[in-house]
Amino acid sequence: MSGSIDVRGLSRTFHTTVRRPGFTGALRSLVNPERVAKQAVCDISFDVAPGELLALLGPNGAGKSTTIKVLTGILTPTSGTARVAGVVPYEERERNARNIGAVFGQRTQLWWDLPVRESFAILRDIYEVPKAEHAARLKEFDDLLDLSSFWDTRVRHLSLGQRVRSDLAAALLHDPQVVFLDEPTIGMDVVVKEQVREFLRHQVEQRGRTVLLTTHDMTEVERLAERVVLINHGRLVLDGSLDEIRRRFGSTWQVRATLADAHTEVQPLPGIEVLRHEGARVVFGPASCEGADAPTVHQALKAVIERYEVTDIAIDEADLEDVMRAAYVHAEAA
Amino acid sequence: MALLHAWRTARVTPLGELHTPPRMTAVLLRLTVQVVLVASLWHGLYAHTGTTAGMDRDQAVTYAVLAVLASRLRELDQYAGRDTVLQHMHFGTIVYWYLRPLPPQRYHALRALGEQLYGFTWALGGYVVCLAAGVVQPPGSAAVAGVFALSLLLGQLVLYHVMLVLDQLCFWTVRNNAAMLILVFAQNLLSGVYAPLWFFPDWFVTMSAFLPFQATLSVPLSLYIGRIPLSDAAGQLAVQAAWVLLLFLFTRFLWRRAARRVMSQGG
Amino acid sequence: MKGVRIAWRVTRLNFRAQLEYRTEFLLMIAIGAIWQVSVIVFATVLLSRFTGMGGWDSSEVLLIPATRMLAHGLFVLVLGRVHLIGRQIQEGRIDIYLTRPMPVHRQVQLAFFPTNAIGDLTVAAGLMAGALSRSDLDWTAGRVSYLVAAVVGGMLLEAALFTAVASASLRFPAADYWGRWLEELLGTFGSYPLNVLPKAVGGFLTFGLPLAFVAYFPAAVLTGHGHDAGVPYWLAAVSPLLGVLAYLGARLLWRRSLGHYSGVNG
Repeated sequence: MSGSIDVRGLSRTFHTTVRRPGFTGALRSLVNPERVAKQAVCDISFDVAPGELLALLGPNGAGKSTTIKVLTGILTPTSGTARVAGVVPYEERERNARNIGAVFGQRTQLWWDLPVRESFAILRDIYEVPKAEHAARLKEFDDLLDLSSFWDTRVRHLSLGQRVRSDLAAALLHDPQVVFLDEPTIGMDVVVKEQVREFLRHQVEQRGRTVLLTTHDMTEVERLAERVVLINHGRLVLDGSLDEIRRRFGSTWQVRATLADAHTEVQPLPGIEVLRHEGARVVFGPASCEGADAPTVHQALKAVIERYEVTDIAIDEADLEDVMRAAYVHAEAA
Repeated sequence: MALLHAWRTARVTPLGELHTPPRMTAVLLRLTVQVVLVASLWHGLYAHTGTTAGMDRDQAVTYAVLAVLASRLRELDQYAGRDTVLQHMHFGTIVYWYLRPLPPQRYHALRALGEQLYGFTWALGGYVVCLAAGVVQPPGSAAVAGVFALSLLLGQLVLYHVMLVLDQLCFWTVRNNAAMLILVFAQNLLSGVYAPLWFFPDWFVTMSAFLPFQATLSVPLSLYIGRIPLSDAAGQLAVQAAWVLLLFLFTRFLWRRAARRVMSQGG
Repeated sequence: MKGVRIAWRVTRLNFRAQLEYRTEFLLMIAIGAIWQVSVIVFATVLLSRFTGMGGWDSSEVLLIPATRMLAHGLFVLVLGRVHLIGRQIQEGRIDIYLTRPMPVHRQVQLAFFPTNAIGDLTVAAGLMAGALSRSDLDWTAGRVSYLVAAVVGGMLLEAALFTAVASASLRFPAADYWGRWLEELLGTFGSYPLNVLPKAVGGFLTFGLPLAFVAYFPAAVLTGHGHDAGVPYWLAAVSPLLGVLAYLGARLLWRRSLGHYSGVNG
């Protein structure tokens, strides 16, 4: 039994009541509510190999959380199937529960009134983890997340960063093969974020866990994810590597050249176009029609220097946030 | 192993309380003041009356004081610990109940068991002190004491299920604390916490007979003070047991519906 | 004036928000019905059992719960959100209120519409109507205005008590617990002639927890029991005024506590 995730044609429709505007409208809705269907997820298929970290990306409301809820067994899909470590989560919720760990952003599963360590102990007994194994894993997590500095504090008195680290540990204490993280680092400072990333990398690389992560933090994606799945409006937009996303949605690089003669008439080069003029500086980028065959940044650099006399030249790789913005907007238009 | 997690889950409430000494002091103070107030009120009410509604002064005082102690059996400690269904629905953390290999209904029952046992130690301590101070009368005979103990146990089971129904309501009507407090008040009133049901008009007593609430407290306490004679005890115990069974089936049905609701709305 | 307009608009919005949750709104109405029946039964039960309680005739005693309930209903409707404020504090709502150009206290009151107040007030009005119809007193203009003053004073006194607890909650969130107890005490002991209690206990409910001023003293003054209520007649008579003073004092306390507010969870 391996920790793979397999999603085929997954769809999920929600029914909500629409409210009529105004006071009389509210009263009318009370008597005769109007129901509408909303497709949160529509025909999504992807899979995650054991020991792989996949980032599930998309703008707010794209259907990420719904997908995670189906995979954790909390939601039943309207159609399609999902398998997590060989188990259909919504059919065998409790069996699936033993294979997975989950953290939902800022919602904590810890017991509010008890010291963190007590929560760990309760979970240990719920998941039936042997004592020695539990102690060893706690030691491992403590080394990475520095839990012991606050694990005797009651949860209500923890800072956000401490609580999320505790929640992360709590979700992984029973050694799940598959881990779901819904915006785990939201609102945390850079130091804690880096600590959490280090921890996740360790869990994937050393422990071979499969991780499905949603986040809006692109630095996180760059540091952690080998592969991303992009969804928008409940539909799968792209499944591939970061490079593929860059190629498809980003001008992947920019070359800024200051020309010796500011009056030179600048012509596009093969596969390279002029993006804009900034005074004496000219900004080149890959021609949009070239797609995958666009020249690399080195080829472009060479081409510009050969063609023009430049006094200064700089290269810029477009950052992932710009790429994602382009991808989201592109998906919106599609 | 199953025993371990049961123990661990059940002790959440007492442990949380032990970690918060001010809360325990508050409970002690509140219980003391409440007992003194209630005892003096009923003494005062009976000042010009011999026997009314089939109860004399000592019976009424004993009933009222025991009711105060019993209401301590299931206070809202779980609420302070942010572990009620209402709060989990509000904070969106109910999903974790459905993410563990422990069924939510068992978790809920274990938590309640711990809470009720914890409350019981308080009530028992209070009872011993009140008995020593002569505030409450001892039970009429060993047989009365035995029947009372059995009836109290059944009463607690009924109470658990009644409170569970209130909790389960939160799966459907999420937001209102005030509604919960009013329901808890109604529950207390109908189970005879505020005043013995014997004082109420006939129609009210008849209505109560068809509701589960009186089985939680009124029946055991009436057995204790002898307002229900031992000869009627068997019938009353049978009614209590019937309520336990009925409510068990009903709440099991509600758990299933609740799970279906969480599964369709995503918590 | 502008403040009143905003308050009115927010209240209307809050009321509509209550309508949004259909099941819950209907449930609240149903619960209100249970509540009404139970409270009236509760209030009349003891009166019919123990006639001549504390030397009071039962129609006179009825005036105590009627006054208290009406004061309580008005409190819930107008100022009730200070009760159980702990939740608003825990959720960091106070921090949000502090950033807005409106007094925090008013924002607390405008947090949601108390649907249950409708039920409370209906019961209270019914109970008051019953009490007045059974009363043998001559309801002169003077008596009626004193009764109105007593209800308002009682409301303000109750509000003062809960505002004091709320002020404490700002600094110690656990103080919310005392708020629940306070409500229970007011509900349980607020409806009797307190002279049935031993002197020490009555004294506690007068000077320790000033519950006697909410309804017992005003009712004693109205029914001519003012001289044997356990305190000097003048003190019993100025109960409504004490309500006003207590409320003003509580608001001062609230303002000071807000100055010391340090937020939740750092």
